[in-house]
Amino acid sequence: MLSPRWRKVVRDLWLHKSRTGLVVSAICIGIIGAGSVLDAWSLLRRVTRQEFDASNPASAVLRTDSIDDALLARVRAMPAIAGAQARRTVYASVQTAEGPRTAAFMSMADFTANQIGVIKPDHGQWPPRDGSIVVEHSSVEFGGVAVGDSLSVQARNAAPHTVVVGGIARDVGLPPGWMEHVIYAFVTPSTLAALGAPSSMNDLQIVVRDRTLDRAEVQRIAREVRRVVESTGRKVSDVNVPVPGRHAHAAQIDSLLYTQGAFGLLALLLSALLVVNLISAMLTGQVREIGVMKAIGARNTQLAWMYLTLALLLGLLACVISIPIAAVLGRLYAEFTSGILNFDVSAFRIPWWSFALQFAVGALMPVLAAAVPVIRGCRIPVSEALRDFGISGSGRGSSRLLHKVPWLSRPLLLSLRNAFRRRQRMIITLGTLSVGGAVYLGAINLRAAVVASVDLLFAPQHFDMSLRLAAPHPADSLVAAVRGVTGVVGAEAWSGARAVVSTPDGPAGNGFSLTAPPLGSTMLTIDVEKGRPLAAGTVNEIIVNRRLQEDVPELVLGGEMQLVIDGAVRNWTVVGVTGNAPSPMAFTTRETLARVTGANGATSLVIAASSHDPSAQLDLIRRVRSELADRGFDVSSGQLMAEQRSVIEDHLLMVAGFLGNMSLLMIVVGGLGLASTMSLSVLERTREIGVLRAIGAQHSAILVMVQVEGLVIALLSWVVAIPLSLPMSIALGNAFGRVMLKVPVRLVPELSGVVSWLGVVVVLSLVACAWPALRATRITTAAALAYD
Amino acid sequence: MTQPLIVLRDVTRTYAAAAGPFDALSHVSLSIDSGEFAVVVGQSGSGKSTLLALLAGIDRPTTGEVHVGGTAVHALSERDMSAWRGGAVGIVFQFFQLLPTLTAAENVMLPMDFAGRWPAKERRERALAIMSRLGVADQADKLPSTLSGGQQQRVAVARALATEPKVLLADEPTGNLDSRTADAMLELLAGLVDEGHTVVMVTHDMGARRYATRTIELADGHVVTADELAHA
Repeated sequence: MLSPRWRKVVRDLWLHKSRTGLVVSAICIGIIGAGSVLDAWSLLRRVTRQEFDASNPASAVLRTDSIDDALLARVRAMPAIAGAQARRTVYASVQTAEGPRTAAFMSMADFTANQIGVIKPDHGQWPPRDGSIVVEHSSVEFGGVAVGDSLSVQARNAAPHTVVVGGIARDVGLPPGWMEHVIYAFVTPSTLAALGAPSSMNDLQIVVRDRTLDRAEVQRIAREVRRVVESTGRKVSDVNVPVPGRHAHAAQIDSLLYTQGAFGLLALLLSALLVVNLISAMLTGQVREIGVMKAIGARNTQLAWMYLTLALLLGLLACVISIPIAAVLGRLYAEFTSGILNFDVSAFRIPWWSFALQFAVGALMPVLAAAVPVIRGCRIPVSEALRDFGISGSGRGSSRLLHKVPWLSRPLLLSLRNAFRRRQRMIITLGTLSVGGAVYLGAINLRAAVVASVDLLFAPQHFDMSLRLAAPHPADSLVAAVRGVTGVVGAEAWSGARAVVSTPDGPAGNGFSLTAPPLGSTMLTIDVEKGRPLAAGTVNEIIVNRRLQEDVPELVLGGEMQLVIDGAVRNWTVVGVTGNAPSPMAFTTRETLARVTGANGATSLVIAASSHDPSAQLDLIRRVRSELADRGFDVSSGQLMAEQRSVIEDHLLMVAGFLGNMSLLMIVVGGLGLASTMSLSVLERTREIGVLRAIGAQHSAILVMVQVEGLVIALLSWVVAIPLSLPMSIALGNAFGRVMLKVPVRLVPELSGVVSWLGVVVVLSLVACAWPALRATRITTAAALAYD
Repeated sequence: MTQPLIVLRDVTRTYAAAAGPFDALSHVSLSIDSGEFAVVVGQSGSGKSTLLALLAGIDRPTTGEVHVGGTAVHALSERDMSAWRGGAVGIVFQFFQLLPTLTAAENVMLPMDFAGRWPAKERRERALAIMSRLGVADQADKLPSTLSGGQQQRVAVARALATEPKVLLADEPTGNLDSRTADAMLELLAGLVDEGHTVVMVTHDMGARRYATRTIELADGHVVTADELAHA
């Protein structure tokens, strides 16, 4: 049987249900915020690592000519190689219900023997049969396709061909199709041949025996493989060595996970502050009882244990409620995030340590939060405790200022003064709301910065669409062919190639894309940050972007090195460095590239359209392709720049979107803090409200008084959040730039964000103060004056 | 000659006020013997409640000494003061000050719980016995809010007696009661004195004098009279 003091603890919880509910809600929000993030984090970490490793991703991919069993056998026999297989990827255009889509058809001789980049069947047919395709899971929604659909496919200039969607499968090694705006599908070599596309294998995937090797070591092995391939008389046009053990979108995953973690902790911290606030207030309401208990013999330690146990019970109660909710939300969030990153978490469980950590934090957080107020409350002298009459602070500092504003009415003056009476509580409430607001503004600023940086990225490109040709064609003929198409206002024929730095040991680093517009191009402005622009002459000049320099450090400004392009090794000089780009790139002139390779043709066509309407541009690209096909030019693929831009934005805005969601959670914490502060304020001023009513204050006056008091705190948080959002934006921008794309630092908050934040705080304040205000109006004069 | 139970020697209690330091009690010396029913009277602000607070160990003198039952209360640490208070004095407040979330019996058991002097399973029995003596045993399992003022004050007295203190200190125990209930309360306290308790009661109620063995009158922080009265 419980002793009276412990019964008091339990009954205090039970009989003060609204207060208990408020504290438990505050703890719950912290645990749900941080716990769901922790659950999602632990699940995503497990699934991305384990599923990616389980897929046995390729250590390197070499692009070469038709690969046969003899070559595969030679490569597999190399001591450093654990496995090798051949694939081919063909790009085609697929007609879907929502218009044409780019598709990447991946083929191999025998899918049942596939051991590198393992593909998991999801449903329907597997492996693909002749005449049908198996669509990669992440492309299903983007393509709007389902098993059983018939799709019209056009590869290059071949006649459209109908294939059936036979099944869905998942390849976790691929970047998600929805994000790349590509329909990935698996087909047999016979299906490729039926589409009119080349069907021999040209991508040699290898897996090194030692999985612990770093990228440089794997590149060294890839060079050995390259030599073996070239010794058979084949050319190797490209070698790609990804960072070992890193998913293609590892940067986004890491960025998401760390941002989630940081904001989960912030949500927990804010809820802890709220708990401190509430428990302090709870003890304030208990001061007289503490005094009575001391008067009848209670010692400070006995009282401290009572109230710390009460805090522990509140924490345990919150754990029971919030940990399962956090688990459900965490799993949902992990499913959503893993879905967009093309992983499947359904077979994974949230690890036990995640629950244990949440339980420990949930149970101890209120105890720690209560420690200082409990100790302080228990140390109040008995005589002082027995004299307690509730609120006593007068907000004197603010009073002097407020009195200088002559037009303020007395009730309004009272509301304003009330807001400053409990300073510590006011500061905590203000801080919580302001941090939520700063994250909200920070997320909006980051979003704007990302959009601005994408604008910058596309600003040098003065064209609306690009078409890739299957083979080089004379530049003038290509331009002449499209100039007459209605809607085309400008066109340029570019060439391009894959290049790799050559060293005495062989090619160094990954291959990179070399883009070659004509000298004096009006469609592309290369913004040179260091060095100078490209010039006509006999020297082979290139401009590289910063991403390429990070990937291939040999490409220093002014440096001369050998590049291998289409098998030809020539000396090149880096004359300039250009800025931001999401992928490594280099530029030269079409004329220089033609001189080096001896191939005097263009491989792509860029076109400026008269209309910026997406459907008009889609129609134009269709008509341009048709015109080119009629004139015998073989177009392998076409893309609208608007589509390319949205691919990049999809990647980048994912993190900004997550931050927006986290800021909403923090604003909810802030709103709860405001609601609790106002509830306590009304409770503490019951007598004062009674006096006001006794001297004639009506319902509306009391209502307005409470609402104005809340609004004062909310508006202050609006003001404080604006400067606070600037360091927040800078920190977020820097973190974002490290893993994704450098974004411009914004020292002025987005005006739209500032205005919408004002709207949010006003609505939040009105909602948060509605219940306390209503309660204040229900206090009867007699009951209020009998309070105590 | 036996030692007085309560001794105050040259006690001054000064409070800081906005207008400057204020002596609630000034150089007060008095003694109260065991078994007395001392009534402290005086105007508002005369120092009555301060005197009681010093005797109860819920306040400390600025200067001077307070001895209760041979203990130098003024010299006790905060921790020892609580323990001493739990066993040596019982306090009855004007507004009863029962804990609202505990039943009447639990309120009476609470001091025993803090003192830890009786086995847990005996505490309710003891509480009921005390409440029975005071005529409120039938209210044992009710919450204070459901009891009348008189019943609440009897429960408060029962709580004050729970740890068998030698001294019962009552701060205007009849101030919140109607006259009939107030008389009953005074009779109850007088009965406790007859049973051997020492009662010090602060009151505005001049009628309380008829139950007292002694009246101590305070004015402006000084003892004006400390008459010994013949028991009515």
